[in-house]
Amino acid sequence: MLKVDHLSVAYGGLTALSDICLEVRAGELVSVVGPNGAGKSTLFKAISGVVRAGSGSVTFEGEDILQTRPFQRAHAGIAHVPEGRHVFPAMSVQENLEMGAYALADARKREELFERIFALFPILAERRRQYAGTLSGGEQQMLAIGRGLASAPKLMMFDEPSMGLAPAVADTIFERIAQLHKEDGMTILLVEQRVAEAMENCDRGYVLQTGRIVMSGTYEELSSDDNVRRAYLGM
Amino acid sequence: MGPTVEHLLQTLSTGILVGCLYGLLCVGLAFIFGIMRVINFAQGDFMMLGMYIAVGVTLSFLGFLGASAPFVAALIAGIVMFLLGYLLHLLLISRTTGMRMSTELDSHQSQLILTLGVALFLQNGMLFLVGSAPLAQISSLSYSAWQIPLLYDDVSAVFINKARFLDALAAVLISVCLFALMRYTRMGKSLRAAAEDPEAALYMGIDVDKAHRIAFGLGAAIAGIAGGLIVLYYPAQPYVGLDFIIIMYAGVVLGGMGSVEGAFWGGMTIGLVQQLATLVIPLQLQNAAIFVVFVLILLVRPNGLFGRSVERA
Ligand SMILES: Nc1ncnc2c1ncn2[C@@H]1O[C@H](COP(=O)(O)OP(=O)(O)OP(=O)(O)O)[C@@H](O)[C@H]1O
Ligand SMILES: [Mg+2]
Repeated sequence: MLKVDHLSVAYGGLTALSDICLEVRAGELVSVVGPNGAGKSTLFKAISGVVRAGSGSVTFEGEDILQTRPFQRAHAGIAHVPEGRHVFPAMSVQENLEMGAYALADARKREELFERIFALFPILAERRRQYAGTLSGGEQQMLAIGRGLASAPKLMMFDEPSMGLAPAVADTIFERIAQLHKEDGMTILLVEQRVAEAMENCDRGYVLQTGRIVMSGTYEELSSDDNVRRAYLGM
Repeated sequence: MGPTVEHLLQTLSTGILVGCLYGLLCVGLAFIFGIMRVINFAQGDFMMLGMYIAVGVTLSFLGFLGASAPFVAALIAGIVMFLLGYLLHLLLISRTTGMRMSTELDSHQSQLILTLGVALFLQNGMLFLVGSAPLAQISSLSYSAWQIPLLYDDVSAVFINKARFLDALAAVLISVCLFALMRYTRMGKSLRAAAEDPEAALYMGIDVDKAHRIAFGLGAAIAGIAGGLIVLYYPAQPYVGLDFIIIMYAGVVLGGMGSVEGAFWGGMTIGLVQQLATLVIPLQLQNAAIFVVFVLILLVRPNGLFGRSVERA
């Protein structure tokens, strides 16, 4: 479904990603793990077009999306749930979800999706009229996920959904993402600092370090690797 | 001896009518400055262009419309100014906004210089084209008034100038349409989203560049319409924008940045203060009164009259 081929990105003179190759197949949950500053968010931003790719290609469902304008990528079926949530603070929960559905023309489908979102996160239904800026961090993260879901995406990209959340709330978020994967068959690309949780549910994973992919494989392969165990799993 | 009741009511009604137009002017700037955070020095000159366009089209081909001609002309001025604003943003302003600039301060400095340049260009361009003689929209409405008798005696009455009243009515109608557009329509919501968080808006599939152009165009259009209305009682000259630009910024800040409704009430407040001040202090100090009230209000409510804090405390 998504294929990143020899992608390189630089900020000014500073190389943030070099020669990244990565693939997500339909129905998979793929994790990308790596330390701070490894370039995980940069990878997502390059896929979404917020930062410009230096070289390489990104193919989504057979189409080279680097050739399309950034806003068109949501219309193509990619939902990016960004690091730090980025909800629209002065808009209500309902309006945030409507903006999530901006790329979705079908009104009936939209109602269905809203119901699904409210089933996953009942608190959002309760807070429909509240300004998103006044939600708690966990609620904002739920809203950011719901907003991503509202466009009926084919691929969802989550950038550190547990960032800054209490462990119990983070657990709920992970559960919901796993649920989306299992029950809805959603294809997911996940970046996480909490490596153990991110690895647990994933079909495959990539380890990113200072802009390079240093390892990839299934959960079993990665978790049996001594370096990964020591660096990320604390074992 | 204080002002008579008659005088007070007369001033109050004038204040409200003027306030409606200031409100509309502030709504226009709210799109550009309050929402998009673009500092536009040329906003007063957009209004000035609107005045000339409205007078121009009335004189050249709207004569057959009679008394309604100035209002149709104001709308035409708005459409022309929308296109002009849209193009100006596309060609110039967009170079000073968004991700090309590393910080907001950076982009504000370039916007300041750029729009000051546009302002000077428009002022001197018009001076070159039409000269400095003031030009007014000639309409019978400007010289006639409704007389509203006050019932407490047989002689007192308040005069409502017809042009000012219809101007104010048009200003309110247009403002209400804009509030509804921003609050309820998909396009309005996407403009707000693109202003609040351009990056997230992009992830939603909103064409953020286009949204910013549309917002800038709308801001310019409203200035154009307001100019077309105001020229019914305030003559145009190439530097007329300078008389209004401060009022616009004060109104937007007073109403609370980011709120289109707030900007309207900010403008209304300034209109009222400006007129009511004439009751107690000399006419020349009218504008000083505005700033005294401006500072007082911001002392008590730093977020403006209608500014609200949506961040968690
Ligand atoms: N806008 C930018 N301008 C310049 N350098 C940047 C910019 N954004 C990121 N970088 C640099 O690129 C590198 C990768 O950053 P990125 O945000 O992708 O890391 P990350 O893996 O997401 O880290 P974290 O886990 O902390 O979120 C870092 O060295 C960072 O300093
Ligand atoms: Mg990151």
